[in-house]
Amino acid sequence: MGITGTYTEQELIQALKARDEQAFSYLYDHYSGPLYNIILQIVRKTEVAGDTLQEVFINIWRKIDSYDPLKGRLFTWMLNISRNAAIDMLRSKNYQNSLKNQEITENVYSIDQASQPSYDQIGLMKVLGKLRPEQRVLIELAYFKGYTQEEIAEIEEIPLGTVKTRIRNALIQLRELIK
Amino acid sequence: MNVEEYISSGIVETCVLGLASPDETEEFERMCAAHSEVRAARDSFELRLETNLLREATQPPKELKSRIFSEIGMESEEKAVQTASRPKPVLIPRAGYARYVAAASFILLAGSVLINLYLLNQYKKSIAQYQELLSSQNVLVQNNQVLQTRLESFQTAISLMKNPDMAIVKLGAVEGSPAPHGMATVYWNSQSKDVYLLVNQLPKPSSEKQYQLWAMVDGKPVDAGMIDMNEAAPFMKLKNIPRAEAFAITLEKKGGSPVPTMDALYVMGKVTG
Repeated sequence: MGITGTYTEQELIQALKARDEQAFSYLYDHYSGPLYNIILQIVRKTEVAGDTLQEVFINIWRKIDSYDPLKGRLFTWMLNISRNAAIDMLRSKNYQNSLKNQEITENVYSIDQASQPSYDQIGLMKVLGKLRPEQRVLIELAYFKGYTQEEIAEIEEIPLGTVKTRIRNALIQLRELIK
Repeated sequence: MNVEEYISSGIVETCVLGLASPDETEEFERMCAAHSEVRAARDSFELRLETNLLREATQPPKELKSRIFSEIGMESEEKAVQTASRPKPVLIPRAGYARYVAAASFILLAGSVLINLYLLNQYKKSIAQYQELLSSQNVLVQNNQVLQTRLESFQTAISLMKNPDMAIVKLGAVEGSPAPHGMATVYWNSQSKDVYLLVNQLPKPSSEKQYQLWAMVDGKPVDAGMIDMNEAAPFMKLKNIPRAEAFAITLEKKGGSPVPTMDALYVMGKVTG
């Protein structure tokens, strides 16, 4: 039974759990944009971001049964899948190797920094730009690089308690910024 | 820590964005289940985040969607094969194909009918020709038999004439004979006493009449047999006559008479030597 037009969140979830490809198509059309945006901000390469997004949507299709609406909205669930997939990609050997190669070619041809696409002006990053620099760095490390608070404490050489407090405060501000 | 403080601590955002530790997440889920205010705060932040990020969309490459769908399409087909035993697809030939088959069948059928008609016609012709040949062959066989018979009779006649024991008696027209040019010849075997007659020339009798040969023995006529003018063989064998002075032919009623009708004496000849 195909539902055309828009879905309520409940209808969409029901249709997806029933493996309705039309509902999945709607899901992709509606949410691939913001999810691709988040992935792009993390991996910062369009090709890698495309592969990641593909993996994300296939995982959504496969794991839709494990989604529990009581624990949060569908978008939140998908956003976390996308962020985790992008961070996994970021840490993969292939990605690290390609990054090294890019550094070499950049050094050889000394590509202008301005020609590099700026991911700081889009999506969540744009919002984060409004945070104080010391907060912003921590959010970037935690959210976009996927470091744990312990790792951030080590990297930034600040106490773990300070890391926790700063991140909490940054997120409280974020809540206000996205109102 | 009361619920208000918990909500304003930033834990809601930390958990929603996936930045919380497992312990923190577990506690947050408990709090959500227990307190509708926590749940409301979570829902509110989630909705704002979603609304905000939906505005910050970046379109992924266009071909990506079809790539994803072809992958999940294959997956769902595999599942369908595993879970449900689908009815096997029935091979239905396409309409176009069926039309070609039908057309080809019709052409073959029509061709077959035409060939059969032609062959039937040929068969009838052959039968007629065969019947014709058969009848003409019958005619030939009959003709051959006739010829054979005649040839045999001629051979017999030749052997008769060649026989040195054969006495020849010429019968000529007598005074006052109805046939002045009448003539016949008697071949008389002096050993066997068999009498053979050769009709040289005698008029054809009417259907009720028949020629009769007589042998004159001691001045009395003795019946020597009836002459069949329709006989094809040149010589006809008549009665055995042991002795005779002369032979004569009269025209009698059909079947012959015991005594010759002297008015109707045609030819006569004396035995010489």
